[in-house]
Amino acid sequence: MIKMAFRNIFRQKRRSLLTTLTMFGGFVLASLALGVIDGTYNRIVDEFTRSRMGHIQIHARGYLERPTLQKVIRNGREIGVEIDRSRDAEAWAPRIIAAALASVGERTDTARILGIDPVRENAATRFERKITRGRSFSPDPSKEIILGPGLAQALKAAIGDEVVLVSQAADGSLANDVYRLIGLADTGDMATDRTSAYLHLEDARSLFVLEEAVHEIVVVSRSLKKATNLNASLRESLAAFPVDVQPWQEFAKSFYNAMQADSRGHEMMLLILFIVVSFGVLNTTLMSVLERRREYGVLKALGTRPRQVFRLILCEVLLLAAASVVLGAGAGFLINSAVAQHEIVIFSKGVTFGGMEMRSFTTEVNARTLAIPALTVLFSALFVSLWPAVRAARTEPARSIRIF
Amino acid sequence: MSKKLFPFAVFIAVFLGAAFAPGQSEDPKVRELARKIDDLYRSDSSYARIEMEIVTPDWRRTLALKGWTQGQSKTLIRILEPKKEAGIGTLRLGNEMWNYLPKTDKVIKIPPSMMMSSWMGSDFTNDDLVKEFTFVDDFTFRMVTPPEAEKGILYLECRPKPGVAVVWDKIVIAVAEADTLPVWQKFYDEKGQVARIMSYSEVRTFGRRTVPAVMEMVPRTKTGCKTVLRYREIQFDLSLKDDLFSLRALQSGK
Amino acid sequence: MSLYSRLAWRNIFRNKRRTYITGIAVAVGLAALMFLDALYIGMADNMIAAATASFTGEAQIHGRDFLLARDANLTVAGSERLLADLRNDTLVKAFTPRTLSQGMVTSAANVNPVLLVGVRPDTERALSQMDDVIEAGDYFGGNDPQNIVIGRKLADLLEVGVGDRVVVTVSRAGSGELSQDLFRVSGIYRFNTDDLDDGLAFVRIEKAQDMLGLAGRVNEIALSFKDPRVSQDETHPFWTDYSTGGNEALGWPRLFPALKSVYQMTTAASLILGLLLFTVVALGIVNTMFMSIYERMFEFGVLRAVGTRPGGIRRLVILEAGSLALLSIALGVGLGFLVTLIVSLTGVNYQNIEFAGVTIKELIYPVFHLKQYVIFPAGVLLFTLLVGLYPAGFAARMSVTRAMKRTM
Repeated sequence: MIKMAFRNIFRQKRRSLLTTLTMFGGFVLASLALGVIDGTYNRIVDEFTRSRMGHIQIHARGYLERPTLQKVIRNGREIGVEIDRSRDAEAWAPRIIAAALASVGERTDTARILGIDPVRENAATRFERKITRGRSFSPDPSKEIILGPGLAQALKAAIGDEVVLVSQAADGSLANDVYRLIGLADTGDMATDRTSAYLHLEDARSLFVLEEAVHEIVVVSRSLKKATNLNASLRESLAAFPVDVQPWQEFAKSFYNAMQADSRGHEMMLLILFIVVSFGVLNTTLMSVLERRREYGVLKALGTRPRQVFRLILCEVLLLAAASVVLGAGAGFLINSAVAQHEIVIFSKGVTFGGMEMRSFTTEVNARTLAIPALTVLFSALFVSLWPAVRAARTEPARSIRIF
Repeated sequence: MSKKLFPFAVFIAVFLGAAFAPGQSEDPKVRELARKIDDLYRSDSSYARIEMEIVTPDWRRTLALKGWTQGQSKTLIRILEPKKEAGIGTLRLGNEMWNYLPKTDKVIKIPPSMMMSSWMGSDFTNDDLVKEFTFVDDFTFRMVTPPEAEKGILYLECRPKPGVAVVWDKIVIAVAEADTLPVWQKFYDEKGQVARIMSYSEVRTFGRRTVPAVMEMVPRTKTGCKTVLRYREIQFDLSLKDDLFSLRALQSGK
Repeated sequence: MSLYSRLAWRNIFRNKRRTYITGIAVAVGLAALMFLDALYIGMADNMIAAATASFTGEAQIHGRDFLLARDANLTVAGSERLLADLRNDTLVKAFTPRTLSQGMVTSAANVNPVLLVGVRPDTERALSQMDDVIEAGDYFGGNDPQNIVIGRKLADLLEVGVGDRVVVTVSRAGSGELSQDLFRVSGIYRFNTDDLDDGLAFVRIEKAQDMLGLAGRVNEIALSFKDPRVSQDETHPFWTDYSTGGNEALGWPRLFPALKSVYQMTTAASLILGLLLFTVVALGIVNTMFMSIYERMFEFGVLRAVGTRPGGIRRLVILEAGSLALLSIALGVGLGFLVTLIVSLTGVNYQNIEFAGVTIKELIYPVFHLKQYVIFPAGVLLFTLLVGLYPAGFAARMSVTRAMKRTM
């Protein structure tokens, strides 16, 4: 039977080629579309979370509901060891978060102080990319300060100026010290930049008398996909510490919601794409079966049983579909990986804001990009060939052998 | 990301002679009592040494301060202890306020919006300390008898007049009948709950005046917090040099 | 009508099943393209709305440098005249003036820093959504100048409810003097977004101007357009028209550059996906055309045998393809319209159940656009004719004997 199906396929080379081409093309394009959707989604989320807040954040229990200077993580070092132990974690960075009065010359304004470890912060959230003027911190604490451009403007501060910070330390004493302005950091969010000031972690710790404590640990996962797993495993391994571990979906809820809207739209798009692909497959299969009714009539006339005709048709269609899927999987995989590796540059100038860089977009190679199109093609081919196969099997030889 | 500001250590004019202007009230006797309490610490000029103890769930500290006031709007305060903060000064002239920081030898101006914050991390807010509070003008008074009334104590209920920028629904002041000195003061919110209690104790005579030397403020909304002020020395109506209240004097660190 | 057109028309109805199959395939493709385009416009609108509708507006006019320095003393120049201009501007749907200043809100229990926003309640309703998510009290009902509307999280921090007293402290613009006033909480809203729920406090603009000493001046005019897409067109003359006299008119892409880059990414991805879809549709058309013509070689052979010239056959095939395309397009446009219409009535829900809070925009509505009914159908027609050329040439060149032989 299969031999006969093969012979039929090769006998009608052009028709088989066309059918295969439709299914193959549908497969490759669907696979590419999935790759583009997943790639773009992950890229946007990755750039957004990476440049700002990391994939996972760890705070002292209850900190996010009502942050205070005193709600600190005291086991920063042990937690760091735990994070490093996880294979999914790429980098982590400790932060001090506090508020202070910042004063330059005659001007004073309120500032949100972020104490950062320059090396770790850069590895985790690419801090150096945000520096738009001046430079980033020296590796060792040397009383340097970096301001958001809006705050610098409000204070009329220039690189090299002295910035005085006054606040209340964790022990209740008056925290005050003077720092040299070495750079401006632009996060791309004007409201944030209007109040942000950055200190070296150790400088911030001594200003606020926080010794070894930190307020926040941001964790960056090796890839966005692994962030969920990493979050779960960190929750487990850090269960002994009095900390909250949250993934980006929770602490960046409104961003997550916006992205959900976007991916929902893309799901619609995929659905439509697959409907169109299935219609293409249906069309081709239907056509090739119906146009060959004469052939089946002859077969029946020669004594082939209806069931055999039915099987023959299904066999043919499935062979073609299988061939398309195999070829398509190869091509889809190749194209997706090629794009994933080389990326397609869409903005020649580059859109960079606050360390987010979105000049190119990429595709993603995952099981989904191959499995979903394969199932679509196979099922729609099988499904749509059932009816014509039944019709063909029932064909009366006398009617179908007529030329017109 | 939260934009929250933590309690700021903003120096604000101290409790010395928070000046209350006398005003009118319905019942002359009641008004007289209100005026008397109002005038308790009030004077044209003053000098004081104060010990301030601040207790929070996270830390506890005691500050020694000295300060001068003149009229309603000039104040200079200097921290004496602890050593780490000794020499830090605050100057207030009307609505403007500056801090002197000896560690960096800088004077910085405090933005007005910060004046509403907690004072030195204590339970006193700007409302208590800096505002030229015209108590008798801004409140209406009546005598009340609360259920828990004690003998020998008068209870004065003060309600802010409509539109007056005060967060309290009412303040009840308990006054000892014998010496007409305050015993405690309860601040009520609109739900009729006590938001904070200020108690007065250790009546002492400083020169010509007899006043409670210890005040303790306990906010009911923050557990484990209280602030105690102890007057070590007060002098009233002394002659002060005008240039005491200047940026130069502030920076001199004396 | 020429002989060939009549023949072509008759031919496509002669084999009805083939015509249906082809027609439906092409129609579904076209309808898909149309619907998807409408959906993408809807998504873009939704995204803009999500970012701008809750508070910021699609565009804002400020005094220059206000956005950077956020100094209440930097006001919009000639705001009276500007407001009058905006009223007469046919592009503008709604606008509202605001004052913006940093301040502190104090209650009996607590003190919290806020952005104090002075608003004109009647026009503000059209620009921000605080009035839609009022949880307790109301949004500036009556005309008590002491009304203040705050978010749920701020109310919890301050431990206040509707009717409770709060004191607002701000610095007077310019002089920096302390300015305090008493307010009573008249409404509490809840967005379930921390920034909006704990960082803002709304009062009547006259009151705010009075406290800030602004005497009729405003810090911001927020506005929305009749066509939201004006806000993302950075070269639109609107921006230069209103950026005069020390003012600066900016649309959301410049107010939120990070959002803009996200938006550009999704738009680019959508474009690529659109192209992919078009390719799938095109592939379907190619396939159908080739198939239907190759399967009928016998027929063309007969036509040749009865003396039809190659040019005639070519014309016949092309005309057939054209008629088929026209029929499919009619069907496709109808189908596309119907699907878009249905979905634009029901909307596409994207809200996850686990985050089922009070979020206003949770549906995407596809949006009709002229190009869906002109460019797409025309594209399909042209493409079909183009694709028809090759098999038409093939059929025309076919020799009679080969054609007759091939059929079996």
